[in-house]
Amino acid sequence: MTETRAEAGSSAVEGPAGTPPERELTGPARWLTTFDHKVVGRLYLAFALAFLLVGSAAGGVLGVERINGGFQLVPSRAFAQVHTLHSEVTVLLFLVPFFLGLATYLVPLQIGASDIAFPRGSATALWTYVLGGALLLGAYAADGGLDGASTVGTDLYLLSLALLAASTCLALISILTTAVTLRAPGMTMLRTPMFTWSVVVGGGLTLLATPVLLARLIELFIHHHFGADLAALEPAGQIGWFWSIPQVYLLAVPAAGVAAEVVPVLARSRLRRNSAGIAVLGALGLLGFGAWAQVEPYADDLLYVVAGLVAVVPALALVGVLGDVVRRGHFVRKPALLLALGAVVHLLLGALAGAVLVIPGLELDPTVWTTAQVHLTLFGAGVLGAYAALWFWAPKIWGVHLGDAAGTAAFALTFWGVLLLAVPDLVSALVSDQARLTASFESDTLTTLLNGASMAGGALAALGLLVVVGDLVVRAGRKGGTRAIANPWGAATLEWATSSPPPAENFTGELPPVTSAWPLDGRDGAQDGAEAGGPVPVGTDGGSASP
Amino acid sequence: MSAPSTAAGMLPALAPAPERGRRNVLLVGTLFAVAAGTTLFGGLLASYFSAREVARAAGEAWVPQDVVLPNVPLFVGYLTLLMSSVTAQWSVSAINGRDRRAAYVALGLTLVLGLAFVNALSFSWSQLGMVAEASRFATTVYAVTVTHLLVVIAAHVALVVVGFRALGGQFSPDNREMVVSAVTFWHFSVAVGLVVWYSIWFLVGGP
Repeated sequence: MTETRAEAGSSAVEGPAGTPPERELTGPARWLTTFDHKVVGRLYLAFALAFLLVGSAAGGVLGVERINGGFQLVPSRAFAQVHTLHSEVTVLLFLVPFFLGLATYLVPLQIGASDIAFPRGSATALWTYVLGGALLLGAYAADGGLDGASTVGTDLYLLSLALLAASTCLALISILTTAVTLRAPGMTMLRTPMFTWSVVVGGGLTLLATPVLLARLIELFIHHHFGADLAALEPAGQIGWFWSIPQVYLLAVPAAGVAAEVVPVLARSRLRRNSAGIAVLGALGLLGFGAWAQVEPYADDLLYVVAGLVAVVPALALVGVLGDVVRRGHFVRKPALLLALGAVVHLLLGALAGAVLVIPGLELDPTVWTTAQVHLTLFGAGVLGAYAALWFWAPKIWGVHLGDAAGTAAFALTFWGVLLLAVPDLVSALVSDQARLTASFESDTLTTLLNGASMAGGALAALGLLVVVGDLVVRAGRKGGTRAIANPWGAATLEWATSSPPPAENFTGELPPVTSAWPLDGRDGAQDGAEAGGPVPVGTDGGSASP
Repeated sequence: MSAPSTAAGMLPALAPAPERGRRNVLLVGTLFAVAAGTTLFGGLLASYFSAREVARAAGEAWVPQDVVLPNVPLFVGYLTLLMSSVTAQWSVSAINGRDRRAAYVALGLTLVLGLAFVNALSFSWSQLGMVAEASRFATTVYAVTVTHLLVVIAAHVALVVVGFRALGGQFSPDNREMVVSAVTFWHFSVAVGLVVWYSIWFLVGGP
């Protein structure tokens, strides 16, 4: 039999006997009315990348102000607004929704389900996110935000963040319920693919942490809406904990899950023990649950210090586990592999920076060290992990391969760009105690030089983003990429058991029996790695095959 | 079972997959929502207690002097809410026993008791006469109680949907997941109500 292909080009579907065929909606009309988790997932990815462009532009403004000798582009008050805009957009409008979209698309496929648990809930979450994102940008445009002068704008700002938090919870409930209840027969939770497991761990704990953010926002809204002084509640800390230590590691768990999924497949090897990967991701998630560390004074809290220090262990373990996989396998210069390994390296660097940050007495917290730590963990690990996912699963999501040259360029620009963005800030924090959230107009030469280097790093990373978006538009959006077969990488998880992209019902044939974490083992097109931990015979060239 | 593949990388043909059962999807989703709701109220109450501790440490009165708590309507309201949990569970038992008339009565009573709670809470707010910006006590109390009210309203909506479906005869002992899910969410709203009553209205300024 032939592999099934989605009939993306069809514009009409067969009606009941004797009735004319119904026209199938296309374009925006379809996007607005669909409950197909694959369309919803793709829309999530598109909106998330679009918002990342906005967040990167805001980061560019901050970078210029830090080297420009004063407030050249924006006035001093707006500088603080641009700073919070940059943080909120990159985390709440890009990083979290990107992985929600990826999970919305992939989790049902990875566990062998024909649909997501609550398709309407998932679609509602998507559009609530888009609405929340638009309102957030509108609030800033109306001089809202924590440092805004507009009362209505600030109310709108708090409301938009609450909408984003609510949409995150709604999307997670749908994804987690899918992972728990709709797994194929034989697929125990410990046999779920690494990405799905990371979503269960990271998503589950995020589902517990996000309502705490929502609680803060509700109180801030009531406080502000009825005329009280918002500054009295120190609102920056009550919102910013969501992307600070230790919560920052929780946001990086899905990126780590992507790496744990991508590296073994492309290195044509296996984790020596699947349980090791499961334990590492679980530990990273548990240590990253940070809803408790949000109100001063937490910096001297023993739990805060221990969580910050111990977070290095799972990051180091992930490097060890995946390094072992690469050592026993075959390193191929595939963009997804480079990007995934880059994400792991940045996660480790971020964890190391975090461990130094929490050491009492160093007092690095109000300095740009914190900025560098977040950049390494979220921009480095998070964004590189997101790109790795795009290059690895693009065949399944859009039915085409993304470009190798573009992927390699994106890796180089982002990996080195984020390093150049973060390392000067680390140095600057040590040598000059440079405070975060300040424009530099009276700093010394060294600090100016470091800020300039940091700005250059940010520009490189932004260039990497443009490469990614450009390649996506050309190859996936306009179908200019090489058409993908069902299982181009020779992977052994269930999403590769269906066509690329999958049909409406995900799977048209009987699923293979799931008796291990690699249900496609031994099947045509999949790596044969029956002996977990051992080297996988390289018999099938799934690396770059295309019809 | 499998046929030869037609091209490299393509998968062999297989027979159509049998329908797999959906395992308590709605109930599990409800439990996830309850877990999220629990941390939502955990966050709200943590903020309440944190603010109270700050006020007490500064030697300030937590409850403004001019505020008199309407204890009686509050107590009656939350007691009513607790009673609604019993009737909600009765609806599940009735469906288990295929007693449709009892199920209608139980669902109807639950909704009425819930509405009575909403009435008691709004009456208590009016008796308090407290504006939200007046004090940190006011802000936190309104944050917690308004959010709880929204949860109770959401539970009402879920139960109304269940009620209409029950009128349509959709439920049976073998097909009761939606009822159990709605009632589980109702119990959650009641449990939160009890915690709110104890934390805010009963303890007030102490211990």
